[in-house]
Formats: sequence, C-alpha cells, structure tokens
Amino acid sequence: MSDPPGTPGKEHSRNKSVTKDQGPLLKGHSMPTSTPSSLIHPEAHLHLTHPSDPLIAARQAAAQAAQQTPPHRSRISSPPARSSVTSPISQLGEARAKDFSFLLRPEIYHPLTPLNVPVAFRNSSKQPSPEAPLEELLANGHFRAAAIAAVQELTGSGANGSIDPTDSNKIFGLLYTRLACLTLIDSTPLAAQEVKALEDLNDIRTYVDETTGEHLVPWELRVLNVRLQALGFGDPRRAVMSYHDLAREARDNIAKASAQHDNSGRELWKARLHDLGIQVAGALIEMDDLTGAAHHLSTLRDRGDGKMALAKALLWLHLGNAESARACAQKGVGEGQDAEKIILALCDMADADYESALERWKGLRETTDDEMVGVNMGVCLLYLGRIHEGREILEGLVDSGLSSHTLLFNLSTMYELCTEKNRNMKLKLTERAAAMETSAGGWEKTNADFKL
Amino acid sequence: MSHQRYPSHDPVKEPHSVSLKVLRLSRPSLVTQYPIDPPQSVGATIKPGPAPASLAYRSKADTNPSPFLLSPIVNLPVSFGSAYVGETFSCTLCANNDLTPEATKNIRDVRIEAEMKTPGLGAVQRLELSPPGTVGASDADLDSGGTLQKVVAFDLKEEGNHVLAVTVSYYEATETSGRTRTFRKLYQFICKASLIVRTKVGAINAETQGKRRWVLEAQLENCSEDVVQLEKVVLDVEEGLNYRDCNWEASGSAKPVLHPGEVEQVCFVLEDKTDEPTVEVTPDGRIIFGSLGIGWRGDMGNRGFLSTGKLGTRVQR
Repeated sequence: MSDPPGTPGKEHSRNKSVTKDQGPLLKGHSMPTSTPSSLIHPEAHLHLTHPSDPLIAARQAAAQAAQQTPPHRSRISSPPARSSVTSPISQLGEARAKDFSFLLRPEIYHPLTPLNVPVAFRNSSKQPSPEAPLEELLANGHFRAAAIAAVQELTGSGANGSIDPTDSNKIFGLLYTRLACLTLIDSTPLAAQEVKALEDLNDIRTYVDETTGEHLVPWELRVLNVRLQALGFGDPRRAVMSYHDLAREARDNIAKASAQHDNSGRELWKARLHDLGIQVAGALIEMDDLTGAAHHLSTLRDRGDGKMALAKALLWLHLGNAESARACAQKGVGEGQDAEKIILALCDMADADYESALERWKGLRETTDDEMVGVNMGVCLLYLGRIHEGREILEGLVDSGLSSHTLLFNLSTMYELCTEKNRNMKLKLTERAAAMETSAGGWEKTNADFKL
Repeated sequence: MSHQRYPSHDPVKEPHSVSLKVLRLSRPSLVTQYPIDPPQSVGATIKPGPAPASLAYRSKADTNPSPFLLSPIVNLPVSFGSAYVGETFSCTLCANNDLTPEATKNIRDVRIEAEMKTPGLGAVQRLELSPPGTVGASDADLDSGGTLQKVVAFDLKEEGNHVLAVTVSYYEATETSGRTRTFRKLYQFICKASLIVRTKVGAINAETQGKRRWVLEAQLENCSEDVVQLEKVVLDVEEGLNYRDCNWEASGSAKPVLHPGEVEQVCFVLEDKTDEPTVEVTPDGRIIFGSLGIGWRGDMGNRGFLSTGKLGTRVQR
C-alpha cells in the first residue's frame, strides 16, 4: 500500500466496521471487541511472515487478544492443564453432564418451505420417504429433508421421541447436520439465525467437559459456527478473530500429538490448521480487504500441489490484477500442473482476450474431465458471439449428469438470450436435473438455480 | 438497463416472429464457495474431503482450490450493474426466431444494427458488430428457435444518459408471399463518474535562473461503488517539457487499491527540456503541460482509462 499521508477517505472507510463491534447483539459474547490491528492492517502483516508456519500470526493475535481481554473472560487453552488446575467443580466431585436443553427448543428452528423448489423436484419419485433415516438422506443428497429430519430429532418431534439433553455427541452431530445442510440448500441466512442459539462456544462453563477438559462441540461445528455467527451478527471481522482462536487451539493440539507420538492425530490437526489459514483469507475477502487477504495468503505454506498458487491467482483476478495472477502461474505451479493453464486462461478472460482463453480451455478439455473447464469454455464462446456452441457445451455437461449451480445458472441465462419463451426451456431443464441420479453431491435444486 | 421502450416502426399489427434479447457483458465473475466437512464425517480421525455439494463444481481432476473461497468457475453477469466513464461498455444482442417449428413462415436475412446515443450534443454513433457477418452467407436465415448473436463494444466517455438503440430487420416469407419487417428497441442507462481528479500545480525554485520546474499533484478519488486497482498514471506532456514520475512505479511499491470513496495522491515533477524555454505560452499567460492519463482495473480485470483535459499553470513573470 502506498497511500500517502493526508488521504482521509482511505482511513475512514477502513475503520468503518469498528462501530459495528459495539452493537447490542454482541452482548453475552465474550469476543474481544477490538480486533488486534495486525489482523486488519496489511502493513502490519509484514513482521509476522514466517515461511514454515502457516498461522504464526495467530499466536501474536492471541497474545494481543489476551491483553485486551477483560479479566473475567473465560477462554479455552490447553484443556488438560486447565482441568487439573483450574476446574474447581471437578475437584469438588460434582462433575455433572452438561445440559443442552437450550438447543432443543423448537422455536430456534425455522420451517423450511418447499416453495422455492421447482415442481419437477417436488413431485419426483426420487423424493425420500418421510421415514428415511438421516444417514440415508445425507448419502443421497437430500439436504432439505435432512435439515428437517435433524430438527425433528433435536426437538423430539420425530418418530424417535425426545432426545437426552445431556447427550452432547448426538445433539451437536444433529445441529451440525442441520446447519451444514442449510448452507447446502442456499438457506445460509436461516443457518446464520439459528446458529445464534449456540451463543459463545468459547464459554467453557457451557461447552467444556470438566472431567476431561475436552470441548464438547465437534470441531466441524466450531469451524462452521465462525462463519455463520459472523453472518448472523453482521460482523465479518469477528470471523477473522475466531478463526485465529481456533488456529491457536489446533497448534496446541499439534504439539500435544507430537509429544505423544500420535502421528495420525498430528496429521489431522495439521490439516485442520492448514484449512483455517485459508479460511482466514476467505474471511478477509468477504470483508473486502483484498490486499490484506493477498498478504495473508503469501504467509501460508504452499504444499506444492498448485492449489496455493491457484488460490493466490484467483484473488488477484478478483481484484483485477491479471499481471500478478500470471506471476503466480509462473512461480507457484509445478511442471504440467493444470493450475497453470487454468490461471492463464482466466487471465486471458480478464484481459478480454476470449479467443486466446478459448484455445486454452479447449486444450484443457482434451486432457481433463472437469465441469469448470466446460462451463468456462461455454462462457467464453458466448463472449465471442458463438452462443450456439456455448449452449451445446453446457447442454452436453447437463447430459453427462452434471448440475452445479453455476452450470444451471449459465445455461438458463443462455436460454433467456435465445428466446422469449425461455420459461419453458428452463422448466424442461428442471425436469432433466430432477431425473438425475441422487448422490451425496446433492440432487434437489432451487428455483434460483434456473432463474425461475 | 433501466428502461425499455418499444416504438413501433411497423405498420403491421401482428406480433413479430423475431425477438431481441440483450445482456450486458461485463466481465464474468469467479464463483464463491464455502467448502464444509460432510455431516457424516463428524468425529472422524482423519480429515475428510469437503462435502461435494459444498464445492462450486464437480471435478475428477482436483482443480478446485478448496477450502478457498474463490473458485475458478465463472458465472455470466448477473445484472446490469453500474456503467462508469472510462470503461468499455460491452453488450450482446440476440435476434431469435421465436416461431414454433410448425409455423409456415420462414425467417430470412435477419439483420441487427446498433447505435449509441450519448448525452453530449445528442450525437448518435453507429456501433460495430462482431463477429462480422459474412456476405451472402446463410447464417442470417434463422430456423425455428435459431439465434443470430452479435456483440457490441463502446467506450464510455461521458456522464449521463446513454441510449443503446437496436434495430432488427428480417424478411418474413410465407409460401406465397413475403415482406420485410423491422422493429427497434431502446435500452437506456446512466453512465456515472468513476474517478474524480483534482490537480494542483506549484513552481519549484521560481527565482533561480535556468530550467523552470514545477510539481504537479493530483488526487484521484474513487467515486464508483467498486474496488479498483490503479494500473498506471502517465502524463502526456507538450513538446519542450520533461517529467518525472514520483509514484508507485518509481518507488517500486504495489499498485494502489482504492475502495469506494478512497483517495490516492500522485505527483509528478515537470521541467523545461533545455535552459531556453521552448514551451508555448498562451495569450492569457498560461503554460500548458499536457494531460494526465489514469488507467485502472476492477473486478475480474475490467479495464478503465480516462485522461484529463489540458493541465497547466500561469507563467511566473
């Protein structure tokens, strides 16, 4: 950043979100209300870079956060130590199973309407039976039904009767299923409301088992909770903070597993830590701090599989900087990896050189079986005035059983361009998608996918 | 495009057999994804792959940078968005034969023409269509459901009301006779300012003899609603002057990113090429430096460029 002094506009907009931290919704959540500046200001990242340590920033963040933490705040750190030293309840021999009945109240959960689902899906014989077990629903990609079934079990309105409010495994498993499925059926806003019921997952009195010191909430739910609560409370900066908190814990667990020569445990936590690092970048992008995100990515470890280079290049392209994106293709990608060709093709599109991009996608298509390559090639053709060919490619992808949101959306857009009577064509497309085999990849679509 | 009107140029009071559909072709956008662990794998002791349904697309080739937010698959533009001075406006026009296959009419020789009305002086500019049609080719004869697609591009230089006027003509043939029919559609949109440029000139060492020197400062304010990254700032100087760039290129820093409302300050030092000034002085005692050109790029590489009017200063006597 090279902003000279005396440009008040810049400072102003960067600090805008600070005020949100003081919103009344945050009461009861012991998140630090002032984010350490190192996480927000790209300039401050400089001294944090460490080539071998993907999230070293987290430690500093934690240290700074701890300083700003009010003394009464409860935090989880290194659970075993805590349980032996600082859990008075267990010492008194009164350890009781935690009661999570506050998560079982029916009023937390929203009804899901099937109205945004095209008729072709609603009336399909592939719709699951109401008695189908949750596992089967998930395996067949019936996420709306699974979200409903999970809540029925949670609230005891299902066939299995009510649930034991101390059965934390079951409750959090169901809750994760519910929230995850909502995000998979384009109902993330509902999930962001429902997740508020969890309140502060860092509250050890509610969520940590006093005898073992283990956090009772599974890791997957804690990670998903970060994004959903940031959405629900309208405070994206909170996500950056919370991911760093989790990263600190993951680091502790890596150290612990290493000390116990638990290789699989160490690999698990390293993989989780790696993912968190990338999720921080995503959270920064959603805050529109693109330079901060770019800087953060540059501090993460590259596993050499071309994915990090691709991620960086995509971020540069999102910002519009094709030159830096191309540099990522040259630097970070191994010989013959597809990532390089993908980056270069996207860069050509960013430069509005659709002819050259088309050639690259064509080349990739010959060697790679990939929905993205086909869709992007179809899009290129439309920009070149060859909508017929583009449409044919997308139709071919649908015929081969593919049905991502992007594919259906782009094909529906082409239908809109091709005739005034596009509604019929979109409805036919819903029938084709509804006739596809069910799989864990998802089956039911929404009207929005078809621009209906 | 905010408004559409359908003024009739056609005496026949019958619905047209050909429809016109348009889409503004801003850059395609990268699709975002939120990869999550599959619900079935909660509590697993090895890290599971992301739930396939949470990825933006399906791939056997492992091309997805999951768990990263951005994926390489692109979406066509969702909406018209905002049009800004300095950008190239691009739009696709599709003329479609909307007759049913059973219809007895044949549609031949479909032609699309496009013009842009700009706010200044009410000028109308004819737009070039691509891909160019081949003379005498049959691609302009549309079967039922057929589409003739063209793409137009136009450099937006003025703020205010623009109207894209598209005329479609075609020959509608029945077994016994035929007629040429024409219709015209208007698409109106507002072009807004993208950058506000404020400049200031100061003389350096005005009293000393020899080459005169000036410093030209400019504040570039992003007044659009999008994040942009400045690509270059250059001076197009008049004969007899040299200039030195004092900005990010000179210092080797990253190109500045401007969020909406943010300002970047740039600076140049100008001087006479020789001790004997050769630069012309206008009759009202002003010396003209030249114009400032600013290039930037927005989301997914969308380019913008604008140049100021001639900048200058009053000569010190």
